[in-house]
Amino acid sequence: MRNYEILEHKADLKIRVWGETKEELFLNAVLAMQSSLFAEKRKAKSAKRKMSASSPDVSALLVDFLSEVLYLIQTKKEIYSKVNFTKFSDTEVAVELAGQKVARFNQEIKAVTHHGLKVRQRKDGFWETTIIFDV
Amino acid sequence: MNSKKDLVKISDWLWELPKSFRKDMRVPSHIYATEKLLEKIEPEAITQVVNVATLPGIVDYSFAMPDIHTGYGFVIGGVAAMSAESGVISPGGVGYDIACSVRLLRSYLSAKEISPYIDALATEIQKEVPSGLGRGRQVKLSRTEIDKILEGGASYLVEQGYGTKEDIEYCEERGRMEGVDPTLVSDHAKQRGRDQVGTLGSGNHFMEIQVVDEIFDKEAAEAFGLLDGQIVLMIHCGSRGLGHQIATDYIKIMIRAMEKYDIKLPDRELTCAPFNSPEGQNYFAAMKAGANFSWANRHMITHYIRQAWQKILGEDARLELVYDVSHNTAKLEQGRVVHRKGATRAFPPGHPELPEKYREVGQPVLIPGSMGTASWVLVGQKEGEQAFFSSCHGAGRAMSRKEATRRVSGQKVINELKSKGILVKCFSSRGIAEEAPLAYKNVDEVVEVVKEAGLSKKVARLLPLAVIKGE
Repeated sequence: MRNYEILEHKADLKIRVWGETKEELFLNAVLAMQSSLFAEKRKAKSAKRKMSASSPDVSALLVDFLSEVLYLIQTKKEIYSKVNFTKFSDTEVAVELAGQKVARFNQEIKAVTHHGLKVRQRKDGFWETTIIFDV
Repeated sequence: MNSKKDLVKISDWLWELPKSFRKDMRVPSHIYATEKLLEKIEPEAITQVVNVATLPGIVDYSFAMPDIHTGYGFVIGGVAAMSAESGVISPGGVGYDIACSVRLLRSYLSAKEISPYIDALATEIQKEVPSGLGRGRQVKLSRTEIDKILEGGASYLVEQGYGTKEDIEYCEERGRMEGVDPTLVSDHAKQRGRDQVGTLGSGNHFMEIQVVDEIFDKEAAEAFGLLDGQIVLMIHCGSRGLGHQIATDYIKIMIRAMEKYDIKLPDRELTCAPFNSPEGQNYFAAMKAGANFSWANRHMITHYIRQAWQKILGEDARLELVYDVSHNTAKLEQGRVVHRKGATRAFPPGHPELPEKYREVGQPVLIPGSMGTASWVLVGQKEGEQAFFSSCHGAGRAMSRKEATRRVSGQKVINELKSKGILVKCFSSRGIAEEAPLAYKNVDEVVEVVKEAGLSKKVARLLPLAVIKGE
């Protein structure tokens, strides 16, 4: 099922993402971010990482969480298809990541911005936000 | 809210959005544009110019250059000067790509002389300068070496035997800003930079072999060593992951400090701290480190390009630095913290910070065009004082990446440019469509505005022969 869409933005990458719970929203956001890197995976080279982030509120937490995963992606040259939340609150998150080594990315994300980002609950109960990535 | 109908025409090149437009504005906004260019500016971009006008300590106006387009937080193509005593510094006013810059190198060859070698040169340069998204440089510097680059910038690399003293002389800040403390740059940032010195990045970053197509100011062109028909080489790139991480880190720090300083802003991405606060000073020092890394990056790219150049054209083939100037910085100038985000510093004739050879004519202002279109060399003017000696930085996007990709394929762009005699050397055609000429405003129109407004004067127009994107 589709859980994100790429919106129009003049210079950068703007993604609207949603999920049934906040946790699922975070999961879908990290998967959407990674799909935008157009990674060419290396066969049979798996990777496992752990990371955590804490922030003053859930909107800042989403940016800090994605920034931290982006750091791992770029320095380790890996991509993570499995994301397991071992801790999740509005101000703190911890995850176990599993994925693969990458030979090449075909798009670079410079950073995750806070611009206009607000995690909100829709009328249908889903959680949603729009994220702008500097590319 | 239709901001455009509230614009007051000051001249054919300048529009004012008065302070009364929105209650939280501390100063009015000044937008440099013709009526025609104004039509292409999105309302959201103007809202962002207004948002910047709300920052504490902003002086005179929140400026927009004619190439503005929507960014995040600050508009791209904006200039904002804050009082160093009572104002703020904002990482978003510099951008994630700290000291993203343009560098111009001159050769002693004509288009005719180089034409049989263009393909071989482009291939060799592409091989020597990776994007950093694939195999990369295959060299990982130690943390100690990174610290030395953060402190010493391009100067440190000259000491290490790369490049020449002239490479420093013709660099903004002589390739090194003083007052850096490497401990203010996070381990994350250093880690991201370790294998990125001498890498180009992606997106709109490029290298181009160009020919000087027309000279507009003979005196300035002569001072810059530029001749009609001469081959030059342009590099557009920045501080790579190291710079992006410094911005990410300090935006995080400042968001947490905003309450302490009782700063309220219309957008979190504008987050800032008083210039004279620990957060403000630490960011300023870290930003300088990012800028030093950026100069070092282009210094090494120049080194590798020279190797390619000499391999194809022989050991006597020279490439000398015309200038290297940034369009993403915050600088302390005359008691003000001048933020230029997608705007180029343009010092006037006589400015003490200019290299002696350029002092009489003014600072070279390097404006890259969109892929396959003209680039420009301009020169700073006395009248530029009206915008804290700033000028435009490029054509500016007119269309989203998504729309450009919908309208044209990468391969079609490559073929079209080929039919115009422009070679495109890129690893994959992905991303080429996003940078297609149709996605940008006309750079010549943008340059006309800064010329007419007195921000800078035309010196030379450069046309591309080969566009090179890293492997």
